[in-house]
Amino acid sequence: MRAQPRSGIVRMERKWGIAFALPAIIGFVVFVFGPMVASLVFSLTDWSIGSDFRFVGLDNYRQMTTGDPLFSKSLYVTLYYTIGSVPLCMLAAFLVAMLLNQKVKALPIFRTIYYLPVLVPSIANSMLWLWLFNPDFGLFNSALRSVGLPGSQWIYSETAAIPSLILMSSWGVGNAAVIFLAGLQGVPRHLYEAVEVDGGGALRKFWHVTLPSMTPTIFFNVIMGMIGTLQVFDQAYVMTNGGPNNATLFYIFYLYRKAFAETEMAYASAMAWVLFLLIMALTALVFRSSRFWVYYEGGNKP
Amino acid sequence: MNLRYGPRKIVLLLLLCLSLTATACSGGSKNAGGGGGAASPSASGSESAGGSESAGGGKVKLKFMYWGSAFEKAAMEKTIQSFNESHPNIEVKGEHVTGDYNAKMNTLMATGELPDVAYLGEGLALKWATDGKLLDMTPFLDTYPELGNRLKQSYYYYAPGKTIGTNSAVEMITLYYNRELFEEAGVAPPPSKGDDAWTWDQFVDTAKKLTKDGSGKTPYDTGFNPKNIVQYGVSVPTWFGGWYPLLLSNGGDITNEDGSKFTMDSPEAIEVFTKLQDLMYKDYVAPTATQQQNMPATNLRLQTKKVAMAIEGQWSLLDFASTKMNVGIGVLPKFKQPTTIVLGAPTVIFANTKHQQEALEFYMYHNNPEQVDLFSKGLWMPLQEEYYTDQSKIDSWIKNDAHPAEYRQAVIDYTLGFAKRSPAYSLKNFVEIEPKINAALDKVWTNKEPAEKVLRDMAKDVQPLLQGKYDAGQ
Repeated sequence: MRAQPRSGIVRMERKWGIAFALPAIIGFVVFVFGPMVASLVFSLTDWSIGSDFRFVGLDNYRQMTTGDPLFSKSLYVTLYYTIGSVPLCMLAAFLVAMLLNQKVKALPIFRTIYYLPVLVPSIANSMLWLWLFNPDFGLFNSALRSVGLPGSQWIYSETAAIPSLILMSSWGVGNAAVIFLAGLQGVPRHLYEAVEVDGGGALRKFWHVTLPSMTPTIFFNVIMGMIGTLQVFDQAYVMTNGGPNNATLFYIFYLYRKAFAETEMAYASAMAWVLFLLIMALTALVFRSSRFWVYYEGGNKP
Repeated sequence: MNLRYGPRKIVLLLLLCLSLTATACSGGSKNAGGGGGAASPSASGSESAGGSESAGGGKVKLKFMYWGSAFEKAAMEKTIQSFNESHPNIEVKGEHVTGDYNAKMNTLMATGELPDVAYLGEGLALKWATDGKLLDMTPFLDTYPELGNRLKQSYYYYAPGKTIGTNSAVEMITLYYNRELFEEAGVAPPPSKGDDAWTWDQFVDTAKKLTKDGSGKTPYDTGFNPKNIVQYGVSVPTWFGGWYPLLLSNGGDITNEDGSKFTMDSPEAIEVFTKLQDLMYKDYVAPTATQQQNMPATNLRLQTKKVAMAIEGQWSLLDFASTKMNVGIGVLPKFKQPTTIVLGAPTVIFANTKHQQEALEFYMYHNNPEQVDLFSKGLWMPLQEEYYTDQSKIDSWIKNDAHPAEYRQAVIDYTLGFAKRSPAYSLKNFVEIEPKINAALDKVWTNKEPAEKVLRDMAKDVQPLLQGKYDAGQ
């Protein structure tokens, strides 16, 4: 700490600042930090709801790596989903944002339409896609059959289940698209004019101006998208119940099942911490990589 | 100077507000309906956990939690109301839980906010009974004859000779059929006496006669198109209610006698699952697992003639009341012995209730056929054995429009003579074993691998999860 603030006003402002931030601070401590510490402690015990517990050290963590094939399965399934979903969503969101950035008639209506799926509750969304995926009467298979292609079993087949859910995730790109749109509108006009002066076409404008200027936005969306998809839950809970043959046993869904169906609260807490550390590590990795591909106007200071 | 104290006052005020809202919340959930201050704990030294407290007026308050359809909810609310009216010293507050019931109970157990009496999943109930969280009902079997004389299959033993009571109501697995379709095809309907149960071949033969493709051909006709079946002979659920009775019928089981060894890779089990797989993919008489997931409920499947027969729980009978069709009930086909299973979930009393006596009273009342109409409506079957053997007692719950004429033979006598218990009554760690088995069986139901390979591979996955049986050595 530096020396005492010089004036009473500074001191007063500091106190008021803390006072105003206090509700948020208390909320964080009580509802986030406290439970986190508690779950860390639980993860070192053998607590099963209804029983007494004792400390077992790292046994739960050891169990994950050696004695639980479903753990690795759920991790694999979740990473598979993330690796498929994040790039697809980024691409779709970017494309939508580019389209919405054009000067066409009724633009606000289009913007609303593309954002609508975000406002549809996740459960309703899942029910809707259940109908679309129906192998006998679903829209997808009807469309495929009408052009003479064989249908798919979609979420009811072990191999097609995750790709189907990845496809479904592209439905909810509205949020990312809005952020991209804001980014696109922030690209300085004079850079485009400079390309025009040099005789460059639309492709050059995109490649040399739009894309580099958008990298901070892409970076943000990738991080947020990754964190979100690693915690995917609703689809497994509502649509597939983790099946068939655990093909959609997402990590959080398995954690939930461990905690609330099998009462293994300690093991579930340990799983939560592994996911937390994993997300931290992946986020750090993306952050480290950002220096190679993210450009900030006026210097590379993240 | 005032300025210097200002912030502190604000902080204090904020803290005060926070603590006020916090206590208001916890007070609301803990002591629903009762004035917090007036409550006086009756039993000394008891934990604050029970969701009830006896108020100053001397009225005992009980909390009862249950699940079920809107129909069951309405019936249960009526039962609770009549209980409260006939027991002026007790006030039961019912809470109907929608959604993930076990998740809710787990949370309540973890936070110590348990009700006094509640429905509970079998796995949780037996586990918590072992941990001493549920009331041991063994001492009351003699004091309450209506508890002691129930169907022997309906008791949950958490240790040899020690019980937490019985199902909320008896349920069993049966075979429904659409009578009209059998008459149209001129085929004899399923037998209603356990001794006359169809062999598997007779069952498949009948199912084939009742399966039709888009042009009305059956699997017996040349040119039958299995890709365009509009009416299936039978639907068999993929959860254990669909296959466990057949497995037992063939002399197989999930584990050996004491639950120490996995035996679903036995030749008997392989035969059963191969036959079930063939039913969907070789005989073409049953909808596949995927098709079933996209089919409506059993009563509608039969009514709309999507299937002619359906293996399903007895509880579905309730739904047929609203379905205008001529429903019939038969016994399940057999492999070696005619067999069905009794299943359901227990109603339990939590050990830390402060009002054991009153809780027991409500426990006996909430599924007494004289008080609840869910029995005559078709949803439930009674627990006391006399309702299966004494003619006037039998008539009291099956002589109505909901129960078809052959119900007496096909359900009551069949249950008495041929029903074993679902695996959830005894197998330890079933909550973890069941999802493992189901996941592996997905490969059978989607025809990804032959049943024999699936069952052999399953052995090494499930064997490590076995922890024996609760009532082994009884």
